[in-house]
Amino acid sequence: MKNKWAHFFIGSVQVNVQGRGTERFINACLRNGISVWNVRKTGEDTATFFMLLKDVSRLRPIVRQSECKLFFGRRSGFPFVVKKTIANFGFLLGIFLFLAVVFLLSNMVWDVRVQGAKPETEHRILKELKQMGVEKGAFQFLLDPPETIQKKLTDRIDTLTWVGVELRGTTFYFQVVEKKQPKAPEPVSNRHLVAKKKAVITDLFVEEGQPLVSVHDHVEKGQMLVSGIIGKEGKTKFVPAKGKIFGETWYKSTVVLPLEAAFHVFTGKYIEKHYIAINSFSIPVWGFQKVPFAHYEAERQKQPLRFWKWELPIFYERVIYRETEQVKRNYSWDEAFQKAKEIARKELKAKLDEDASIKGEKVLHAAKENGKVRVEIYYEVIENIAIPQPIVQGD
Amino acid sequence: MKKWWQQVKNWLANQLELPADVVMDLPRITMIGHIHIYIENHRGLLTFSDKELRLLLKQGQLLVRGEQFVIKTILPEEILLEGKIHQVIYLDND
Repeated sequence: MKNKWAHFFIGSVQVNVQGRGTERFINACLRNGISVWNVRKTGEDTATFFMLLKDVSRLRPIVRQSECKLFFGRRSGFPFVVKKTIANFGFLLGIFLFLAVVFLLSNMVWDVRVQGAKPETEHRILKELKQMGVEKGAFQFLLDPPETIQKKLTDRIDTLTWVGVELRGTTFYFQVVEKKQPKAPEPVSNRHLVAKKKAVITDLFVEEGQPLVSVHDHVEKGQMLVSGIIGKEGKTKFVPAKGKIFGETWYKSTVVLPLEAAFHVFTGKYIEKHYIAINSFSIPVWGFQKVPFAHYEAERQKQPLRFWKWELPIFYERVIYRETEQVKRNYSWDEAFQKAKEIARKELKAKLDEDASIKGEKVLHAAKENGKVRVEIYYEVIENIAIPQPIVQGD
Repeated sequence: MKKWWQQVKNWLANQLELPADVVMDLPRITMIGHIHIYIENHRGLLTFSDKELRLLLKQGQLLVRGEQFVIKTILPEEILLEGKIHQVIYLDND
């Protein structure tokens, strides 16, 4: 038996043979390599059988030599199905249009909901979203992924502490947490103020408590500056000592800076490519040119496509190629020295409180060692050295 | 001469235990109950109707009688017949 499936794809046709010597006709067919099946005798000199569509053209010379007449009957198989669909292709078009419309509509944003925001914040959020393209009728695969939207929103709107972005089906949900007004300071317990480190007092500002030191005093680490015990002997009272004690403190910092350094920086040029990705196989749909940059970084954004409510294993992928450039930095000795000083200052400032100030700096040591500059700087800093120390009751 | 060659072939088939249909060009007929008959090594269709099938063999003819015959497949040397088979008859035309 031959494969029925092959018959279906090639297409088969029923042949009615009429005339004398139908057997001879079938024999002739076989000799010419035309395969036939389901041969049936329907009458005295009529027979019917099936044959492949591709053999029909070879049938003509055989018929001429025989005394039979041929009539073609039922046609079946793929070629005829195709013919039929072409004949009423309106249906086919309709089916595809329908699928396309459902597909497009499933990938649209149909609603944007903001929850937990004051009306004015909500208005601002909606405005920002509109700018980003997140609005009713936008295509989801053209938008940034939710994480990016979240980041952009929190960056752009300063009254937001956090915003949760969720894409559920065709609706964007934004869960907003706004910044709250600072709370009233919590009542503090009774305490002393002690020195955080070795310093020379330059200024005192005591709100509450009994100051134990005065300006120009040298204090050691842990030394009590303001006592939380006030009142005369025998009539003492505990209070939470409060105040700022400014003292001169000293910091030493060492910075090592290479004279030569190479960086990758973006030049600002970029190209975008768009793909439809199925598993790991990507079909480019836009942006066919080669990446014209010698050095670049590729950023990939994948958005799943939906059909109805299901996520398809198909992704819309946007790849952004950003050109990078290698920049070499070459410092002269002086420049490097200046830069090192700047860096040291910056690092120190980051460590210090806001109300601290750098009074003076002194370069202790500056040396060039195998392509690097090594600078040691000594800083005099005026800062608040008071830290609280709770009073243990019962002392 | 021909007869003599036939005898040699027959002897070979017997002595070397070769299948007779290969050595002697005989038809191999497989029947499944009375509904299918599969004939290999035939030499063409002589007559066919829904009650009778006559096949040409190398030597003689084969006649199959029955009802509702349909040739399911036919190839130059093989044929698969379906229907209700009553008789399978060898006709020698020696």
